[in-house]
Amino acid sequence: MMHPLSRLLPLLVATFMAGSALAQAIDYDPRRAPELRACDEHQYHGRVEQARACYSPLVNSSNAVIQAEAFWAMGDLQRANECFRDFAKANPRAVQPRIRWARLFLQTHQYNDAAETFREALRIFPNDPHAKIGLARVLAERFEGDAGPLIEEVLREHDDLVEAYLVSAQLALEAGQVEAAQKQLERAGDLAAKQKLPPLEIFTMRAAIESSRDRDPQPWIKRALDYNPRYGAAYEQLAHFEIMRRRYREATALLRRAIEVQPDLWSAHAELGSNLLRLGQVEEARQQLTAAYSGDPYSPTTVNSLRLLDRIDQFDVSSTPVAVAGDTYVVRLRLHRSESSVLEPYAIDLIQQGIATFSRRYGFKLQEPVTVELYPDHDDFAVRVAALPGIGLLGVTFGYVVAMDSPSGRASGDFHWGSTLWHELAHVFTLEATDHRVPRWLSEGISVFEEWRTGPTPGVVVPPDVITALNDDKFLPVADLDGGFIRPAYPNQIQVSYVQAGLICLFVEQRWGFERLAALLHQFDRANVTTAAAVQAAFKMAPADFDKEFDAFLHSRYGALLAGMNEYQSQYQAARKATQSEQWNDAVAPAKRAAELYPEHVGPGSPNLLLARAFDKLGRRAEAIAAVEAYRNAGGWDPAALRELARWLDEVGRKQDATTVLQSLNYSEPLNPEQHVQLGERLLADNRAEDSLREFRVLLALRDHDQAPALFGAARALYALGDRAASRRHVLDALAAAPHYKPAQEFLLKIVEERSKNE
Amino acid sequence: MKTFFLAAALLAVPTLAGAASFTFIVAGLGGEPEYEERFREEAAVIGAAAVEAAGGDKSHVVMLMGEQARRDSLRREFQEFAAKVKPTDSATVVLIGHGTYDGEDYRFNVPGADITGSELGQLFDRLSAKRQLIVNATSSSGATIELWQRPDRVVITATKSGGERTATRFAQYWGQAVSGDAADVNKDETVTAAEAFDYANRQVAASFKSDVALATEHARIAGEDTAAFAVAHIGASAVSGTSPEVAALLTQRGQIEQDLEGVKGRKTTLSEDQYYDELEGVLVRLAHLQQQIDAKRAVQ
Repeated sequence: MMHPLSRLLPLLVATFMAGSALAQAIDYDPRRAPELRACDEHQYHGRVEQARACYSPLVNSSNAVIQAEAFWAMGDLQRANECFRDFAKANPRAVQPRIRWARLFLQTHQYNDAAETFREALRIFPNDPHAKIGLARVLAERFEGDAGPLIEEVLREHDDLVEAYLVSAQLALEAGQVEAAQKQLERAGDLAAKQKLPPLEIFTMRAAIESSRDRDPQPWIKRALDYNPRYGAAYEQLAHFEIMRRRYREATALLRRAIEVQPDLWSAHAELGSNLLRLGQVEEARQQLTAAYSGDPYSPTTVNSLRLLDRIDQFDVSSTPVAVAGDTYVVRLRLHRSESSVLEPYAIDLIQQGIATFSRRYGFKLQEPVTVELYPDHDDFAVRVAALPGIGLLGVTFGYVVAMDSPSGRASGDFHWGSTLWHELAHVFTLEATDHRVPRWLSEGISVFEEWRTGPTPGVVVPPDVITALNDDKFLPVADLDGGFIRPAYPNQIQVSYVQAGLICLFVEQRWGFERLAALLHQFDRANVTTAAAVQAAFKMAPADFDKEFDAFLHSRYGALLAGMNEYQSQYQAARKATQSEQWNDAVAPAKRAAELYPEHVGPGSPNLLLARAFDKLGRRAEAIAAVEAYRNAGGWDPAALRELARWLDEVGRKQDATTVLQSLNYSEPLNPEQHVQLGERLLADNRAEDSLREFRVLLALRDHDQAPALFGAARALYALGDRAASRRHVLDALAAAPHYKPAQEFLLKIVEERSKNE
Repeated sequence: MKTFFLAAALLAVPTLAGAASFTFIVAGLGGEPEYEERFREEAAVIGAAAVEAAGGDKSHVVMLMGEQARRDSLRREFQEFAAKVKPTDSATVVLIGHGTYDGEDYRFNVPGADITGSELGQLFDRLSAKRQLIVNATSSSGATIELWQRPDRVVITATKSGGERTATRFAQYWGQAVSGDAADVNKDETVTAAEAFDYANRQVAASFKSDVALATEHARIAGEDTAAFAVAHIGASAVSGTSPEVAALLTQRGQIEQDLEGVKGRKTTLSEDQYYDELEGVLVRLAHLQQQIDAKRAVQ
């Protein structure tokens, strides 16, 4: 049953009419009006009716700010907004009302407006700590690295603000710094008791700390619920930290509890809906998101998720058993109908290889079917990763569910979907093998490392911006590397952290052997293991010593490049300049030197590709081939460059190598019909009829307007496989579509003659 | 599918009657070196294919570019071209380059003063050929489709309206369609206007998709019997002229094609085995006949 978004709009109106409350966050600001505080007491203790009775007359208050707060508490957010807006307009120097207005924006997910309004308050009064805390909340909500320094600044100047300690504790806990978080909460608890502020958020965070230590959080939850029996946020907050740790199942159970305790906690409904989507439970996800939308129509995540669900019937869902080392695993694919027939065979093949490779290397067998979803519309994929910090732009893994961009969603050459799928499959293993306890950096590191070692584009790829970060000493200590993913401190830190994590895995493999990397992963099979402890246990050395050895490894591997960075830049620029002005002889030496210094540069403008072009223009084809092969062996996969390589390999008689290169293009550019025509014919000529048949079947799916060549190709492949009946049907179908297709006519006459001879 | 049979039969008509194929190509003002070069290249590809379609007779193809494409020169050349074309011939006009539309009139950008859609329409009306194809591959070309439509004329535009103003990609793919077999979907060795349009249209859409770019052009085709207007011949069918013997065989071929349509039409009423058996019977006959046609053509 579909729920198009348009049908939900009347519910929005109904919500305002009924005045259903959107729970306000606790206002810790001592400037809050005393009239409101009396009502707040009821609210914080979950006495809903009393709270409503108390707030209700205040909507007629002569004080516009009190009026706004009363409307807000009663759930009439539009009137609340109007009151704040009018007051701010009439009082250009008012600070506290602006902070509260910004909080209203924050609650309704309008983060840009919230940030701007907090900043406006700070322009009027630059030292207002509550404006800074509010701004830090916005930054934290968006996982921006500036949240930490801002809250530290507040705490340096005001060591008695409960909310500042709460935000600080939240940031610490999200970064896995449990001890620091606990310390901040203890201080917050003391202050709250002294200042008679509600301890609900403190109890909740204490519960989250217990949970992150794999201890029972229940005593703290009980304290929160004793204080306010309708405080579903206690469970919701616990779920938030479980989601941060990618423990989606555990989060789901907590979110269910949250809405049991507080059925109108719309944010919990929304998070439960998103989380059920992550677990592949589409129908219940839809119910929860619809409920969330009915109460909180402001969340773009909810709206976008519902829009995605409205289009879900455009996707084909398949379930395929694959055999690996004597076991059978089920692979579920959710692919857009327009491309499912094209992508399915390659996806299944790669997933089967991935299961075989990772089961063997990490000693873990999948316990459930793995689901892979490919989205042609990047916005749909973006919905799936909404509200998750530091997620890569191409794919995401939620345990046994992988969601990623489809190759049709990006320009040719932008995206190697095979490598992305391989990366995500590695996550399935690292997450599930450790019950999602593996730290973010190690899970990403292993995925990147496996792309380099066992993936469809093997080669250690280290982009120029990572070399620059290494040169600028921006790599993080291993124990702090998670921070580089969760709250990046500079623009490309997430990307740098991915590669650093991959290089750490490479270092472990080269220093101690691959088995030690698997052993490091399995340190996290147990609960309460920090990166520092895991490093100590796996390598018998302190993390600081590990960092030193890693640094030495980096300098031995990239020392020449780092020392020769200036030379690389000048050689590379000289090669580019010569290439642009078509001075091919002048391009060779600098391109060659640049490629020697930095062979891992396989992105756009790779020096090896410049070199290949120059050699080709000079008629030095063998050297041109060698340069593109060096590029490919280092992990380069640009479809145009590899197509050219295949052509050159053909010309020098290396037909099979050319076929291998062309086959690799199916994992970067599978939607190019010409490629499948070529591959189908080549594989047939190489007596690889089964592979050939696959190519022709894909071609059939790609070319619904011109099916005859694909049907004829399939007919010949089936004939080679000995399936005469199917071969006959295919050639007849080809000729039914294109009656004058001469090669097919000849083939038909041949099989008819052969049959009559055998009769 | 009856249309297909009619189309195939009609295709044989011009060659049987000794009709000739004439083409007039203009590459307009590029404005920038990149466009100048591109338009010239596209015109050259389409021109070479037109010469081949005319049986190698270069005098049947007029190609204007650069200064030759000035308004006065274009008008003069077209009048001469129109005078050569007889009613039994087929005439194709291809415009490549930039066009504009100001809400009232379309203008084709040529060196010097532009030429308007109305002026071009008047020129095209001088053609006496009963089978005409106008391909306006310029930006804003959609503004001309209704203006130029006439009975016996097929009009193709690169854009759906005058409002699609971005430089177009259509001509590049039209060139591919008429210079190879990629557009020949039914493999009858003849590329029709419908096939070429379909091919170019798909390729344009695919190129925008591949660039993950918003499509800025949507081609249109108007006119009757678009599947009967041959724009290129490939292989044996490229041989000009048809002997009476071959003509008789082609008539037989048309009858078998009718039988084929009959079998396909009965598909849902037949068992799978019956369907394929009947299909095979017809297609084997057709294949044998095609061998005879090819043999006769080979000795022509």
